[in-house]
Amino acid sequence: MFLKYTRAVFAAFKMSYLSLVMDGFFIFATLLMPLIYALIAFGLLRDKGANYGIYVAIGSGLAGLWSTLLFGSGNAITSERWTGTLENIAALPTPLWVIVFGKTLASTMQSLLSMIASYLLGWLVFGYPLGIAQPLEFFVVLSVGIVSFVAFGLMLAPAFLLNPQIQQFQNAMEYPVYILCGFLFPVALLPFWTTPFSYILSPFWTARALQSAAGGTLTLDQLGVDCAMILLLGVIYLGIAALLFRIVLHKARVDATLGLQ
Amino acid sequence: MRRLIINLQLFWQGAVLSYRALFTWLRPTTFIASMIFFPLGQIMFFTLLGIYATGAQNASFFLIGNAMQITASSGIFGVTMAVGGERWAGTLMYLFGSPANRLAIFTGRAMVHVLNGFVEVLMGLAWGWLLGWVDFSRTDPLALGLTILIATFSTAAMGLLLGCLGLITLNIMFINNLIYFLLLLFSGANVPVTSLPWWMQYISWALPLTRGIQAARNVVGGAPLTQVIDLLAGELLIGVIYLVAGYSLFRVFEAEAKRRGTLEAF
Amino acid sequence: MNNTIQISNLRRVYKSHIGAFRRKLKVVEAVKDISFEVEPGELFGVLGPNGAGKTTTVKMLTTLLIPTSGTATILGYDVVKQADAIRPRIGFIFGGERGLYWRLSGIDNLRYFSALYQIDPEISKKRIPQLLELVGLTDRASEKVEGYSRGMKQRLHIARTLLNDPEVLFLDEPSIGLDPVAARDIRGVVRDMREQKKTILLTTHYMFEADELCRRIAVINHGKIIALDTPANLKRFVQDLAVVEFQVKTLTPQTLERLKALPIVDAVSVEEREQNSLVVVQSPRGAEAVPDLLAQFNGASIQKVSVREPTLEDAYVRLVNQADEPEVSLS
Repeated sequence: MFLKYTRAVFAAFKMSYLSLVMDGFFIFATLLMPLIYALIAFGLLRDKGANYGIYVAIGSGLAGLWSTLLFGSGNAITSERWTGTLENIAALPTPLWVIVFGKTLASTMQSLLSMIASYLLGWLVFGYPLGIAQPLEFFVVLSVGIVSFVAFGLMLAPAFLLNPQIQQFQNAMEYPVYILCGFLFPVALLPFWTTPFSYILSPFWTARALQSAAGGTLTLDQLGVDCAMILLLGVIYLGIAALLFRIVLHKARVDATLGLQ
Repeated sequence: MRRLIINLQLFWQGAVLSYRALFTWLRPTTFIASMIFFPLGQIMFFTLLGIYATGAQNASFFLIGNAMQITASSGIFGVTMAVGGERWAGTLMYLFGSPANRLAIFTGRAMVHVLNGFVEVLMGLAWGWLLGWVDFSRTDPLALGLTILIATFSTAAMGLLLGCLGLITLNIMFINNLIYFLLLLFSGANVPVTSLPWWMQYISWALPLTRGIQAARNVVGGAPLTQVIDLLAGELLIGVIYLVAGYSLFRVFEAEAKRRGTLEAF
Repeated sequence: MNNTIQISNLRRVYKSHIGAFRRKLKVVEAVKDISFEVEPGELFGVLGPNGAGKTTTVKMLTTLLIPTSGTATILGYDVVKQADAIRPRIGFIFGGERGLYWRLSGIDNLRYFSALYQIDPEISKKRIPQLLELVGLTDRASEKVEGYSRGMKQRLHIARTLLNDPEVLFLDEPSIGLDPVAARDIRGVVRDMREQKKTILLTTHYMFEADELCRRIAVINHGKIIALDTPANLKRFVQDLAVVEFQVKTLTPQTLERLKALPIVDAVSVEEREQNSLVVVQSPRGAEAVPDLLAQFNGASIQKVSVREPTLEDAYVRLVNQADEPEVSLS
């Protein structure tokens, strides 16, 4: 089934990429905002020693990744409504989710730039040694993490279309995830009752594993547990996404309570 | 006298319209999202980061800084959208064509966001108090109120300038987000101004909020109004400068647009 | 089943809630009971005033909406149960400027949609230039769509809808909001497609467009078909009438009321123009009625009076007027 839609996914990917690189706000969320976080964090953590350089680079990169996903994928369908193209793509031989998948992939890949940018900032401007102790493990976790991020994005797009009230929280959803996923400080600082919320967010496991791999403390056991959690959550997100897409199309075609234009 | 009444009416209409446009709703979810959830998230994130980096004894330093910084969300985003929104709505032409006093209209719009920002800062401080990050036992409430009001005013004045810039440039969302986050870095809300490189410190002192945040920290720590009056006067002056600059820019822009006949482009 | 489009007793109800606090259920019956069939290669017109149910009907046929009741098949496939079989075989346009990616060039828009239509790259590489040629956009193809005129955007829409070489086309008011020259270009393209033996369902409220293009026309109002025939037969419906036109500077509502009240008057419609108004009166007595009609204007300055043969538009006006007054039965 995937092979059949490869070209459609690639087309959506390319098309999304072309419009995103021209979007000032997107450039801001991907490149500038993580750099400002990184600057603040580097400035504050300076006294903690050189080990924190890579920690900050990864954390602010992931923060940029999350913001990009929140806006890039979150608006994947609603933006089609703004341009009036949703109607044209809702009755195609290609299902809607395939198109959203391509777009989400584009915003996720592009937001990897934010990780590279904060890495370069720490290295070139602050002169931190930014070696990754376990590069192979790092790469494995990053790949699995991206798959999970994409699954998360697939869930956001129909949710925002279904209920504009949820989209009101789009801005407000940035910081809680930064906090709960321990991007720039450990979740141990938080009250104990917030831990379950961290556990159901795949970026939490991704950040944890990436930071351990960079610092050289990632054991095989932890690698297994973290990757398993990332994938398990990814599958759950995909299931929820599939359900939401069905509800969206039902509302549009049967209830007609969801104007496609 | 009649003129004054007309201008007051304009001011009031601008204020009401602006608020209605911002909260097209009065829906509880929107209110919760933008007035409570977003500020709380931002304050918690940076305060926790500060605690992690420098220790729990510094919690109030970060809490006060970031609670004050919240005023920028209505002062920068609210005001730029209220002014720049004219352009999206395509109503700028009609405004240019009207004999209405522009200063009355624009300050009216900004005014609402000043009040909004004031309330948001108070809520931010209240959250900090509930979380045990700040202690108000030695604080003079009047001095604190005045400090917040002045800082909020000068931030909104900067928002007016940016809003006018937004009328000219294409991507206002880019500009106001950038300025908002730069304030986060330069205002001393997180990184103390004195520990920034010397050239960055110059920028800090030219921006709104920097003096206001410092004054707020002093007042909460028990300083009387007389000790922070210099900081507050400076903050107020910065606000007036931005207000005048924004208004002048708008008039220049209006005259240019009329002269060159580029009104339709907006 | 040999018909390309077969619709029987199609009905669509919209339910919505109004009011913020005490939410009331509002039910609108957009399409009440519509049945018709379109033969292979036929250009079939659907005429009707705004809100008559035209767009709702097209949306049901293009699988964008599920009918409340009734059935519809396209090429023998059911629009509800076999939507996946229908989608690759049809194309559709909803009038207006939206629905394209303005930041992309015209040719990139076509490339994008052809990928989403699962068209073989080898085929689309050949077909896209042909389509651009067909709609006359070859020279401007690499420019961004945001710089296109309305007519160009509409022509790009037509190229888009032909990407999958559809057997059936649904054109919902394709010439709406276009200037006369651009609208003529669109009609030219529609005629080309008719030559290619495509089955086309066209909705419009421009009479001459329907008269010029369609083999058969269904006139719908209030969600029901009130007439279905060839343009020539529909015109025969007003054969007994003649049309008297008055060009007047100022028109009072009282004059209109008096005209409508006359027993020799069948229907009255008004066309507002920049300098004056055109009052169109249908009467079986034709030229003989002019003195009686003139008397109703009470000396208002009349610039021109003319008597002419009825057109399809007059037939349409009469049909819609009669449907609005249910006590008058269709003769």
